[in-house]
Amino acid sequence: MNTYYATNLLVYAGVDIIACLALNMQFGVSGIVNFSFIVFQAVGAYAAAVLSLPPDSANGGFQIYVGGYQLPFPIPWIGGAAAGGLLAIPVGLVVLRRLRSDYQAIALLVLSIITNAVITNARPLLNGAAGLALVPPPFSDQIDPNTETYQFLYVGLTAVCVVIVFVLVNRIVNSPYGRSLRAMRERELAAIAIGKNPVRLKMTVFIVGGVIAGLSGAILVGFIQLWAPSVWLYPETIILFAAVIVGGRGNNIGAILGALLVPVGFEEVTRFIPTTIGPPGLIPALQWVAIGLLIIGFLWFRPEGVRPEPRHVFEGAPAREESA
Amino acid sequence: MKFQTAARNRWSGLLAIPAAALLVVAACGGSSNTGGGLGSGGLLVGVIAPFTGADAGLGPAYYAACLAAAPAINNNGGVGGRQVKCQQFDTRGEPADAVPAANQMIASNSNLMAAVGCTSDEAAAVAPIMDRAHLPMFCMTGQSEFNKSTLKYFHRLVPADVYDAFAMVGSALYGPNHSPYKKAALVFGDDIGSQAFVDPATKAFTHLGGTIAINQPIHLNAASYRTEVAAMLKTNPDVILTEALGSAGTYLKEVKTQNGGKMIPFIGSSATIDPVWFQQVRDAIGIDDLLKYYAGVDLGYTFSGPAYAEFLTNLNAAAAQFADAPKYKQRGSTLHLYDGIIMTALAMVATNTADRTVYNPKIIEIANGSSSATVVNTYKDGVAAIKAGKTIRFVGAGGQNNFDQYNNSQSGYILVSYDKDGNEVQAGQLTPDQTSKLIAAGS
Amino acid sequence: MDLYVAAFGFGLVGMSVIAIAAVGFTMQFGITNMINLAYGEVMISSAYVAYYLNKAGISIWFGMVAGALFGAMFSFLLNRIVYAPFLRKGTAPIGMVIVSLAVSLMIANLLLPIVGYYSVSYQDTTGGLLRAGGIVLTTNQIAIIGVAVVLMLLIHGLLRYTRLGKAMRATAANPTLARNCGIPTQRVIDAVWLITGALCGLAGVVAAMNSDSFAIANGAGFLITALAAAVLGGAGQPYGAMIGAVIIGMVTELSAAAWSPEYKEVVAFGILVLVMVLRPQGLLAKRGALAAAG
Repeated sequence: MNTYYATNLLVYAGVDIIACLALNMQFGVSGIVNFSFIVFQAVGAYAAAVLSLPPDSANGGFQIYVGGYQLPFPIPWIGGAAAGGLLAIPVGLVVLRRLRSDYQAIALLVLSIITNAVITNARPLLNGAAGLALVPPPFSDQIDPNTETYQFLYVGLTAVCVVIVFVLVNRIVNSPYGRSLRAMRERELAAIAIGKNPVRLKMTVFIVGGVIAGLSGAILVGFIQLWAPSVWLYPETIILFAAVIVGGRGNNIGAILGALLVPVGFEEVTRFIPTTIGPPGLIPALQWVAIGLLIIGFLWFRPEGVRPEPRHVFEGAPAREESA
Repeated sequence: MKFQTAARNRWSGLLAIPAAALLVVAACGGSSNTGGGLGSGGLLVGVIAPFTGADAGLGPAYYAACLAAAPAINNNGGVGGRQVKCQQFDTRGEPADAVPAANQMIASNSNLMAAVGCTSDEAAAVAPIMDRAHLPMFCMTGQSEFNKSTLKYFHRLVPADVYDAFAMVGSALYGPNHSPYKKAALVFGDDIGSQAFVDPATKAFTHLGGTIAINQPIHLNAASYRTEVAAMLKTNPDVILTEALGSAGTYLKEVKTQNGGKMIPFIGSSATIDPVWFQQVRDAIGIDDLLKYYAGVDLGYTFSGPAYAEFLTNLNAAAAQFADAPKYKQRGSTLHLYDGIIMTALAMVATNTADRTVYNPKIIEIANGSSSATVVNTYKDGVAAIKAGKTIRFVGAGGQNNFDQYNNSQSGYILVSYDKDGNEVQAGQLTPDQTSKLIAAGS
Repeated sequence: MDLYVAAFGFGLVGMSVIAIAAVGFTMQFGITNMINLAYGEVMISSAYVAYYLNKAGISIWFGMVAGALFGAMFSFLLNRIVYAPFLRKGTAPIGMVIVSLAVSLMIANLLLPIVGYYSVSYQDTTGGLLRAGGIVLTTNQIAIIGVAVVLMLLIHGLLRYTRLGKAMRATAANPTLARNCGIPTQRVIDAVWLITGALCGLAGVVAAMNSDSFAIANGAGFLITALAAAVLGGAGQPYGAMIGAVIIGMVTELSAAAWSPEYKEVVAFGILVLVMVLRPQGLLAKRGALAAAG
């Protein structure tokens, strides 16, 4: 029984659950098609990394980056979350105006690509394509990270964060505030007519989502101890969207299911397909094909997701038609 | 206000259960192997490298090495009768996917004898994982963070990129058939592996009297380099130092075009000794210019001798499983990983145990040898010598190895060029004096 | 100074390549409402078709035609087999984007074992060198510019002067109304996929010719540049895409001459960000793009 693989999967599951809960809040509930989502996770990871790394002359000076304050836990994780929220402010102000949602989507997608290209090329900033390595995990001074005890500790920390995020997102989504968000998603004009301010609603959700995404990045970077632009290319966002849709958008349980099924489930299970058939690289390539087929299959056979959004029916309300 | 939710979906939760169960089953490997005797059952070499994604070209070269090493061992009695097999573990070229790949490899296979591959894309993330699992690994990363690695199970058979850079400068200053170049243009990719050349090359070249005309990091696989080449030509370099895997043809073709059909001499790193690089550049500027203007550096491979002959036979035989395998006959990484796997097998035989904690240090001893060691070149000879009670030194297809205290090994560099069929030919070499001058100037 | 003049010449080629791709992409989006993320992979597949023909000894110009035909067929089938059924089911736009991404992943990874992972190049694609007042271009590059100009004129003619073009513009503006007016929207959409697919295939071959070597991994880069030009000009506006291509193509090369060349894509994208801040619907989009959802 290999504990390390099991704890690896648990931590990844936790990170993906947190990310999907945030994305679900932005997209599933509020209808914001945030195609740059992965950038917020990345900024959280980078922030946590530069807060916990020693100054860049350390370890032989093989990497160059800003920061390097060597701060102890939990400051890097808080910093990561804050970075995600701070980034959401300018991005939201630029993009979240009264744009058609698909324009918004393409604009955010392009933003995500630009950011990756800039970070890759601006080497002194965050060490370019090589990324940041040897990131000290939390409590690494007190406990040796290479022990099973530490793995369980990390799973525990992740689980605590999952619970906090779940409670927070639940509060938002299943509250009058959440009703306003859903109203805005379904019929924005009607929502405005009854006095809701969609821009303010969207900005709030965008920022809160950014904070949560940043936290997920901080947790992930503490675990793998390395963060490079190759980790956050734009298709990663789409995998998370697939997770939210497959799991069932608009509800938190659906988001959790989606996180378990897609980034953890699909991507990990395909590793077990035997690779000895055909030339090398064939089976790994076919694994990606399998992931694509699974996504398409789900969208075809069960587009509302594994757990559809619960429809709240009010007694005495007139019947309303299904919206797409 | 009363409201009721629509009918709940009962089976929605059920899907998660099989998924979770599957993962738990997967995480439980078999029982771990204990020492004392070589054990029984098959042995596995894990090839953990990118097989998809931007660096999909790296994994197959390492897989070919394993496919060639396995018969070398299995046809000569195996490891105490145990047959060696190879398996791919795709890291997808990025650390977040590499970490579970490494963990899954270890979790699902209790009979791992060694791991090979781990490139710059993921080494920093997976090396600690494999070290923790006491798995000897032979990594293909030139990153300088491993120059003083304290990981006991990490073995690096390729020199750090800095030494490649020094050798290239050496070719520029001391190469045959030309007077020392004075102005150099550095044209390397802006990615992880490539930028490691720039600083050491700059330091070495300038401290020994040259000037860097321009340092031009290029975005590999870009659509065109026209403006870059125009800017580079304006600085009038005598020579271009480059690697630019995948884009060398594009760049050099543009150089020839904009320079009125005349090439500028260019010096390539050891990674440019590669059939694909050769073909791309030959298609770009023509074979004549390639022969005339290219100089390369490489580790002192001889591509001959009994070790290489056996390697070549096995590599060609591997074409049955992997059609492209014979293409890697002169790829340094393939040669080194082949040697690494054989040395691991010999270490197991010499210590008569399948306990990785016991035979790992023996690998270093077999590579470095000692004054009384018998030199062997093949697995068969090695096993015979061990049976006869001798200590051995394995000098394989990739040549001699000399592990330092940080488990980095390197042999000397030679200056090379290509012949018209894309085979490497030695053109000259750097004397030990020149080598130490370069290292001193560049450090 | 002559560095800038030379860069201007390179910009002309760059913008031609981008224009063909961007116009195709934006027309797909404008008329069928599909953000087709598989566009780059179709481009690369067509480039490979031309490559295999080229290896067999056929001239690259015929390869270009073959690539266009392949792109047309591929895109048409993609719509018929994958996209249209999902659209009929009422899948939301975001769902369609995810489908197109899944498709692009599948195409790229199905091709990978077939064509291999290292880059290839066409034979004999330079042609002679021509110089004029500081501009240095090969005859092939000039031919590419010519092809692009001709195609842009053809698209302009199609949209403005033919019945099909008018039907396309009507369907783009309001499909329901167009159908009610008797326009055979299904056939119009088929025609759109064929025509934009041909543009896509052609763009792939031309882009591959322009870069001297290409591999599967380049597909994403092609998509991104086309996307950027389309968004810059106003998504769905073909003339906007042409302008977007001109801006991105020219700015990329000129900035490479002015500053460090590795940043040239970043500068182009920076312009895009600026435009998004100041005029988020793109340069040419009508006010309608700002309509609130629902």
